[in-house]
Amino acid sequence: MTSSLRRKEARVAWLFITPYLIGFILFHFLPIFLSIILSLTDMKYISTADQTSFIGLGNYFEMIYDAEFRNAFKNSIIYSVCFVPLVMVVGLLLAVLVNQKIYFRNGIRAMIFMPYVSNMVAIAIVWSLLLDPVDGIINQTLRALGVSNAPMWLMGSKTALITVVMIAVWREVGLQFVTYLAALQDVPKELKEAAQIDGANRFQLFRFVTFPLLKNTTFLLIITSIITSLKNFTIIQVLTEGGPGNATTVLPLKIVDTAFSSARMGYASAQAMVMFVLVMVITAVQWIGKNRSEIY
Amino acid sequence: MKTKKKKFGKIFLTAVLFLFGIACIFPFIFMLSSSFKPLNEIFVYPIKLIPEHFIFTNYTEVFSEKYNFIQWYGNTLVMVFMIIVLKIGIVTLTAYAFARLRFKGRDVLFLVLLSSMMIPPDAVIVPKYVIFKAFGIVDSMWSIILPSIFDVFFVFMVRQFFLAIPETLSEAAIIDGCSHFKIYSRIILPLAKPAIVTMILFTFIWAWNDYMGPYIFITSPEKQMLSVGIKMFQVNNAVDYGLQMAAATLVLVPILIVFLFCQKYFIEGIATSGMKN
Repeated sequence: MTSSLRRKEARVAWLFITPYLIGFILFHFLPIFLSIILSLTDMKYISTADQTSFIGLGNYFEMIYDAEFRNAFKNSIIYSVCFVPLVMVVGLLLAVLVNQKIYFRNGIRAMIFMPYVSNMVAIAIVWSLLLDPVDGIINQTLRALGVSNAPMWLMGSKTALITVVMIAVWREVGLQFVTYLAALQDVPKELKEAAQIDGANRFQLFRFVTFPLLKNTTFLLIITSIITSLKNFTIIQVLTEGGPGNATTVLPLKIVDTAFSSARMGYASAQAMVMFVLVMVITAVQWIGKNRSEIY
Repeated sequence: MKTKKKKFGKIFLTAVLFLFGIACIFPFIFMLSSSFKPLNEIFVYPIKLIPEHFIFTNYTEVFSEKYNFIQWYGNTLVMVFMIIVLKIGIVTLTAYAFARLRFKGRDVLFLVLLSSMMIPPDAVIVPKYVIFKAFGIVDSMWSIILPSIFDVFFVFMVRQFFLAIPETLSEAAIIDGCSHFKIYSRIILPLAKPAIVTMILFTFIWAWNDYMGPYIFITSPEKQMLSVGIKMFQVNNAVDYGLQMAAATLVLVPILIVFLFCQKYFIEGIATSGMKN
């Protein structure tokens, strides 16, 4: 009786998840699998797919000597290395401040979070006006304050990448901020009071009581931030289109350009595999680091 | 004495954070004010947020027949609606099975689904294009709708929510001979309203804001979505900034209104899903 009920339950379960599983396989699993296969071919474009042949690791060797790919790889790394710590620190700092005794907390929280839901394209149009090197309000203000050589922002080959990162932090920090704020509100009051009775000052209280309790949140947010930082096609495409020159061409832009403008889908897939491996390695390192620190 | 000092500190910190908050939303304020200005007023320094000559022509121009703006608006609304409806059905049914039913391999399967969240979507765009081409859905709305309804994140979120609903409720129904589909649709779904609302809101925002999908998969201008549409709009009207600001405002206003009215769901949704991981 019970075993037939069990079997019935399992049958219902598979019935319920089958539509989802089919979609998941087609739209999530198959692309990755296909990406691995395509990366080993010299496929140019879909219309000429029948002329595709298997070339082993040829695409991977080509990447090593491809200056444009190396530039995109370097830009992606710079972007992530700047974005992740900035968005984490700013998010935590804002959460700690907003968690103090203040008036109008929900209003302030909403204002800081608002850019997170905004449309990147619309926002890019606004920022490119604000940051216009000549007429933009920001540079006009800087010049009024006596700065003689105001930065070129998105137009300067040296400043463009870091400007995009700053706009990205402005837009994305709401996630880190809100998550940290919720975690801070979960810290038990008794723990803080006990530490204060023991004579801990505010900094010590944060360093030795609050921050260790935020460890799981921090771990999760770092992983999320890293993945977000590699998901930067939209923000770069709408702000700079990879320019000026190749100054802000990151991996996703390079992949799309290789696949659709240069019509080399096989080579583009190999470049995408580099991105996968990057995410896997970073996540694995994080995971090991987290487990190790839990031992003591 | 001490309470006075404390009160001053509270006011001071509030003022600092309030100014910071204003700085965060300044681009939106600038956009709104510029959309009502004639071109020669936009770059005036020092900035005047209230336009000297208040005009509506930027808006009437955006909606004129010269541009596909109304068409893009319609396309985007239809797409968002389809995604929301299909996603609710598929995601909640799947989440129910993972939360409430026992079957072999369930936990392993769930882990496999979760691990796919680590893949940056920007990296699978080429194979996706190849697959969509084979299905014949390139340059159709379905190339945006289909991949987003089989969402992993919300299966996880809704499952967490279902797990928190007491098991005794559905056990009683099983003894009464209710089918699992009835338990799902009559008991669990109505109780899961907050989770479903959160899912609808986030889906709305993400689908509305999606740029890469339509940019890659949709080629005909009349089938295009708003995000890519206003980018083309910007490129074609490079110096008409008032017009661009009006277009940007029209794209942002629906989501900002939704956000302001439902911010509780957004913020709680993020906080709880972030915590439970």
